[in-house]
Amino acid sequence: MNPFYLLVSAALFALGAYGVLARRSAILVFMSVELMLNAAGLALVAFARAWGSLEAQAVVLLLIALAAAEVAVGLALVVAIYRTRETTLVDDLSELKG
Amino acid sequence: MSLVDLFLGALLLLTGFLAVRLKNAVHAALALAANFILVGVVYFLLEARFLGWIQIIVYAGAIMVLFVFVIMLLYAARAEVGADPLPGLKPLAAAVGVVGFLALAYAFAGVKAPLAAKAASAALSGGTAEALGPVIWQTWLYAVLLVAALLLVATVAAVTILRPGEGGRR
Repeated sequence: MNPFYLLVSAALFALGAYGVLARRSAILVFMSVELMLNAAGLALVAFARAWGSLEAQAVVLLLIALAAAEVAVGLALVVAIYRTRETTLVDDLSELKG
Repeated sequence: MSLVDLFLGALLLLTGFLAVRLKNAVHAALALAANFILVGVVYFLLEARFLGWIQIIVYAGAIMVLFVFVIMLLYAARAEVGADPLPGLKPLAAAVGVVGFLALAYAFAGVKAPLAAKAASAALSGGTAEALGPVIWQTWLYAVLLVAALLLVATVAAVTILRPGEGGRR
Protein backbone atom coordinates (compact mmCIF):
# COMPACT_ATOMS: atom_id res chain seq x y z
CA MET A 1 0.00 0.00 0.00
CA ASN A 2 1.16 3.43 -0.82
CA PRO A 3 -0.85 5.82 1.34
CA PHE A 4 1.37 8.70 0.26
CA TYR A 5 -0.67 9.47 -2.87
CA LEU A 6 -3.89 9.14 -0.87
CA LEU A 7 -2.62 11.90 1.42
CA VAL A 8 -1.60 13.99 -1.60
CA SER A 9 -5.08 13.55 -3.07
CA ALA A 10 -6.66 14.55 0.26
CA ALA A 11 -4.51 17.69 0.30
CA LEU A 12 -5.43 18.52 -3.31
CA PHE A 13 -9.11 18.02 -2.48
CA ALA A 14 -8.79 20.38 0.51
CA LEU A 15 -7.00 22.95 -1.65
CA GLY A 16 -9.84 22.72 -4.17
CA ALA A 17 -12.44 23.16 -1.42
CA TYR A 18 -10.57 26.26 -0.22
CA GLY A 19 -10.53 27.59 -3.78
CA VAL A 20 -14.27 27.01 -4.25
CA LEU A 21 -15.01 28.99 -1.07
CA ALA A 22 -12.42 31.76 -1.44
CA ARG A 23 -12.35 32.47 -5.18
CA ARG A 24 -14.57 35.29 -6.42
CA SER A 25 -14.62 34.75 -10.17
CA ALA A 26 -16.97 31.99 -11.38
CA ILE A 27 -14.31 30.67 -13.79
CA LEU A 28 -11.77 30.29 -10.96
CA VAL A 29 -14.40 28.59 -8.77
CA PHE A 30 -14.85 26.14 -11.63
CA MET A 31 -11.13 25.52 -11.85
CA SER A 32 -11.11 24.69 -8.14
CA VAL A 33 -13.96 22.22 -8.70
CA GLU A 34 -11.83 20.57 -11.39
CA LEU A 35 -8.98 20.32 -8.88
CA MET A 36 -11.32 18.50 -6.45
CA LEU A 37 -12.57 16.10 -9.17
CA ASN A 38 -9.00 15.38 -10.15
CA ALA A 39 -8.06 14.66 -6.54
CA ALA A 40 -10.89 12.09 -6.42
CA GLY A 41 -9.49 10.46 -9.57
CA LEU A 42 -6.01 10.33 -8.05
CA ALA A 43 -7.40 8.65 -4.92
CA LEU A 44 -9.24 6.06 -7.06
CA VAL A 45 -6.10 5.22 -9.05
CA ALA A 46 -4.09 4.93 -5.81
CA PHE A 47 -6.75 2.53 -4.46
CA ALA A 48 -6.67 0.55 -7.73
CA ARG A 49 -2.90 0.22 -7.34
CA ALA A 50 -3.29 -1.01 -3.75
CA TRP A 51 -6.11 -3.48 -4.45
CA GLY A 52 -4.78 -4.71 -7.78
CA SER A 53 -8.18 -4.13 -9.38
CA LEU A 54 -8.87 -2.42 -12.70
CA GLU A 55 -12.45 -1.50 -11.75
CA ALA A 56 -11.42 1.77 -10.12
CA GLN A 57 -9.43 2.70 -13.23
CA ALA A 58 -12.57 2.19 -15.34
CA VAL A 59 -14.42 4.52 -12.98
CA VAL A 60 -11.71 7.17 -13.41
CA LEU A 61 -12.16 6.96 -17.17
CA LEU A 62 -15.88 7.68 -16.71
CA LEU A 63 -15.00 10.45 -14.25
CA ILE A 64 -12.84 12.18 -16.87
CA ALA A 65 -15.71 12.00 -19.39
CA LEU A 66 -18.09 13.42 -16.76
CA ALA A 67 -15.65 16.25 -16.03
CA ALA A 68 -15.58 17.12 -19.73
CA ALA A 69 -19.40 17.27 -19.83
CA GLU A 70 -19.50 19.34 -16.65
CA VAL A 71 -16.98 21.85 -17.98
CA ALA A 72 -18.88 22.23 -21.27
CA VAL A 73 -22.17 23.06 -19.51
CA GLY A 74 -20.55 25.11 -16.74
CA LEU A 75 -18.52 27.34 -19.01
CA ALA A 76 -21.55 27.79 -21.31
CA LEU A 77 -23.47 29.02 -18.24
CA VAL A 78 -20.62 31.40 -17.31
CA VAL A 79 -20.59 32.83 -20.84
CA ALA A 80 -24.41 33.12 -20.89
CA ILE A 81 -24.39 34.94 -17.52
CA TYR A 82 -21.63 37.24 -18.74
CA ARG A 83 -23.74 38.16 -21.76
CA THR A 84 -26.69 39.33 -19.65
CA ARG A 85 -24.95 40.60 -16.48
CA GLU A 86 -21.50 41.54 -17.84
CA THR A 87 -19.76 40.03 -14.85
CA THR A 88 -18.19 36.73 -13.85
CA LEU A 89 -17.95 37.58 -10.14
CA VAL A 90 -20.04 35.27 -7.98
CA ASP A 91 -20.61 38.16 -5.51
CA ASP A 92 -22.61 40.01 -8.15
CA LEU A 93 -24.82 37.01 -8.90
CA SER A 94 -26.87 37.02 -5.71
CA GLU A 95 -30.25 37.39 -7.45
CA LEU A 96 -32.11 34.61 -9.20
CA LYS A 97 -34.08 37.05 -11.34
CA GLY A 98 -32.54 37.30 -14.80
CA MET B 1 7.68 5.70 -1.14
CA SER B 2 10.65 6.79 -3.16
CA LEU B 3 12.32 10.12 -3.77
CA VAL B 4 10.44 10.43 -7.07
CA ASP B 5 7.12 10.07 -5.22
CA LEU B 6 8.10 12.77 -2.73
CA PHE B 7 9.21 15.11 -5.49
CA LEU B 8 6.01 14.57 -7.52
CA GLY B 9 3.83 14.99 -4.42
CA ALA B 10 5.55 18.27 -3.52
CA LEU B 11 5.14 19.55 -7.09
CA LEU B 12 1.46 18.51 -7.09
CA LEU B 13 0.81 20.41 -3.87
CA LEU B 14 2.77 23.45 -5.09
CA THR B 15 0.89 23.67 -8.43
CA GLY B 16 -2.44 23.03 -6.68
CA PHE B 17 -1.71 25.80 -4.20
CA LEU B 18 -0.74 28.19 -7.00
CA ALA B 19 -3.92 27.27 -8.91
CA VAL B 20 -6.12 28.41 -6.03
CA ARG B 21 -4.00 31.40 -4.95
CA LEU B 22 -2.66 33.17 -8.06
CA LYS B 23 -4.49 36.42 -8.80
CA ASN B 24 -4.26 36.35 -12.59
CA ALA B 25 -6.70 33.80 -14.02
CA VAL B 26 -4.39 32.80 -16.89
CA HIS B 27 -1.53 32.11 -14.46
CA ALA B 28 -3.90 30.04 -12.29
CA ALA B 29 -5.02 28.11 -15.38
CA LEU B 30 -1.39 27.37 -16.29
CA ALA B 31 -0.69 26.15 -12.74
CA LEU B 32 -3.77 23.93 -12.98
CA ALA B 33 -2.59 22.54 -16.35
CA ALA B 34 0.77 21.71 -14.77
CA ASN B 35 -1.10 20.01 -11.92
CA PHE B 36 -3.12 17.90 -14.39
CA ILE B 37 0.01 16.85 -16.30
CA LEU B 38 1.70 15.87 -13.01
CA VAL B 39 -1.37 13.81 -12.06
CA GLY B 40 -1.01 12.07 -15.44
CA VAL B 41 2.63 11.29 -14.58
CA VAL B 42 1.53 9.88 -11.22
CA TYR B 43 -1.00 7.69 -13.07
CA PHE B 44 1.89 6.22 -15.10
CA LEU B 45 3.72 5.46 -11.85
CA LEU B 46 0.60 3.83 -10.36
CA GLU B 47 0.26 1.32 -13.22
CA ALA B 48 -2.51 3.21 -15.01
CA ARG B 49 -0.83 3.92 -18.34
CA PHE B 50 -3.96 4.29 -20.46
CA LEU B 51 -5.49 6.68 -17.92
CA GLY B 52 -2.24 8.65 -17.82
CA TRP B 53 -2.51 9.40 -21.52
CA ILE B 54 -6.25 10.12 -21.29
CA GLN B 55 -5.57 12.46 -18.36
CA ILE B 56 -2.99 14.41 -20.35
CA ILE B 57 -5.04 14.51 -23.57
CA VAL B 58 -8.50 15.26 -22.12
CA TYR B 59 -7.76 17.12 -18.87
CA ALA B 60 -4.51 18.95 -19.59
CA GLY B 61 -5.43 19.31 -23.25
CA ALA B 62 -9.12 19.73 -24.02
CA ILE B 63 -10.48 20.95 -20.68
CA MET B 64 -7.69 23.45 -19.99
CA VAL B 65 -7.91 24.85 -23.52
CA LEU B 66 -11.64 25.39 -22.91
CA PHE B 67 -10.85 27.23 -19.65
CA VAL B 68 -8.17 29.46 -21.19
CA PHE B 69 -10.46 30.13 -24.16
CA VAL B 70 -13.31 31.33 -21.91
CA ILE B 71 -10.94 33.42 -19.76
CA MET B 72 -9.71 35.16 -22.91
CA LEU B 73 -13.23 35.50 -24.36
CA LEU B 74 -14.60 37.23 -21.25
CA TYR B 75 -11.49 39.33 -20.45
CA ALA B 76 -11.63 37.64 -17.04
CA ALA B 77 -7.87 37.40 -16.56
CA ARG B 78 -7.42 40.67 -14.70
CA ALA B 79 -6.31 40.45 -11.09
CA GLU B 80 -8.26 43.43 -9.67
CA VAL B 81 -11.92 42.61 -9.08
CA GLY B 82 -12.97 45.42 -6.74
CA ALA B 83 -13.62 45.48 -3.02
CA ASP B 84 -14.25 42.17 -1.27
CA PRO B 85 -17.78 42.12 0.23
CA LEU B 86 -16.84 39.23 2.54
CA PRO B 87 -13.33 40.00 3.86
CA GLY B 88 -13.51 37.37 6.60
CA LEU B 89 -14.24 34.52 4.19
CA LYS B 90 -10.68 33.56 3.25
CA PRO B 91 -9.50 32.45 6.73
CA LEU B 92 -12.80 30.60 7.15
CA ALA B 93 -12.30 28.86 3.79
CA ALA B 94 -8.75 27.94 4.81
CA ALA B 95 -10.09 26.50 8.08
CA VAL B 96 -12.65 24.44 6.15
CA GLY B 97 -9.86 23.19 3.89
CA VAL B 98 -7.64 22.20 6.84
CA VAL B 99 -10.51 20.41 8.60
CA GLY B 100 -11.42 18.62 5.37
CA PHE B 101 -7.82 17.51 4.87
CA LEU B 102 -7.52 16.24 8.45
CA ALA B 103 -10.80 14.32 8.13
CA LEU B 104 -9.73 12.69 4.85
CA ALA B 105 -6.24 11.93 6.17
CA TYR B 106 -7.80 10.32 9.25
CA ALA B 107 -10.06 8.21 7.03
CA PHE B 108 -7.17 7.16 4.77
CA ALA B 109 -4.87 6.37 7.70
CA GLY B 110 -6.99 3.31 8.58
CA VAL B 111 -6.82 1.85 5.07
CA LYS B 112 -5.00 -1.46 4.82
CA ALA B 113 -4.26 -2.93 1.39
CA PRO B 114 -5.27 -6.58 1.03
CA LEU B 115 -2.44 -7.43 -1.38
CA ALA B 116 1.31 -7.03 -1.37
CA ALA B 117 2.47 -4.26 -3.68
CA LYS B 118 4.04 -6.74 -6.11
CA ALA B 119 0.92 -8.93 -6.46
CA ALA B 120 -1.30 -5.87 -6.94
CA SER B 121 1.07 -4.53 -9.59
CA ALA B 122 0.93 -7.84 -11.49
CA ALA B 123 -2.88 -7.93 -11.34
CA LEU B 124 -3.10 -4.52 -13.03
CA SER B 125 -0.92 -5.62 -15.98
CA GLY B 126 0.24 -2.04 -16.45
CA GLY B 127 -3.25 -0.58 -16.79
CA THR B 128 -2.90 -0.54 -20.57
CA ALA B 129 -5.86 -0.11 -22.92
CA GLU B 130 -5.70 -3.85 -23.58
CA ALA B 131 -6.12 -4.65 -19.88
CA LEU B 132 -8.71 -1.95 -19.22
CA GLY B 133 -10.85 -2.66 -22.31
CA PRO B 134 -12.65 -5.79 -21.06
CA VAL B 135 -13.47 -4.10 -17.74
CA ILE B 136 -14.94 -1.04 -19.47
CA TRP B 137 -16.87 -2.90 -22.17
CA GLN B 138 -18.19 -5.70 -19.96
CA THR B 139 -18.52 -4.76 -16.30
CA TRP B 140 -19.07 -1.03 -16.84
CA LEU B 141 -20.83 -1.17 -20.22
CA TYR B 142 -24.09 0.43 -19.07
CA ALA B 143 -22.24 3.15 -17.19
CA VAL B 144 -20.26 3.91 -20.37
CA LEU B 145 -23.51 4.14 -22.36
CA LEU B 146 -25.03 6.46 -19.74
CA VAL B 147 -21.96 8.69 -19.75
CA ALA B 148 -22.05 8.75 -23.56
CA ALA B 149 -25.68 9.89 -23.47
CA LEU B 150 -24.77 12.47 -20.82
CA LEU B 151 -21.95 13.86 -22.99
CA LEU B 152 -24.38 14.22 -25.89
CA VAL B 153 -26.93 15.98 -23.66
CA ALA B 154 -24.20 18.27 -22.28
CA THR B 155 -23.11 19.22 -25.80
CA VAL B 156 -26.68 20.01 -26.84
CA ALA B 157 -27.23 21.93 -23.58
CA ALA B 158 -24.09 24.02 -24.07
CA VAL B 159 -25.17 24.94 -27.60
CA THR B 160 -28.75 25.70 -26.49
CA ILE B 161 -27.68 27.87 -23.56
CA LEU B 162 -25.51 30.00 -25.84
CA ARG B 163 -27.93 30.18 -28.76
CA PRO B 164 -28.34 33.80 -29.81
CA GLY B 165 -31.80 35.23 -30.42
CA GLU B 166 -34.88 34.96 -28.27
CA GLY B 167 -34.96 36.22 -24.67
CA GLY B 168 -32.56 38.29 -22.61
CA ARG B 169 -30.34 41.18 -23.58
CA ARG B 170 -27.94 39.94 -26.21
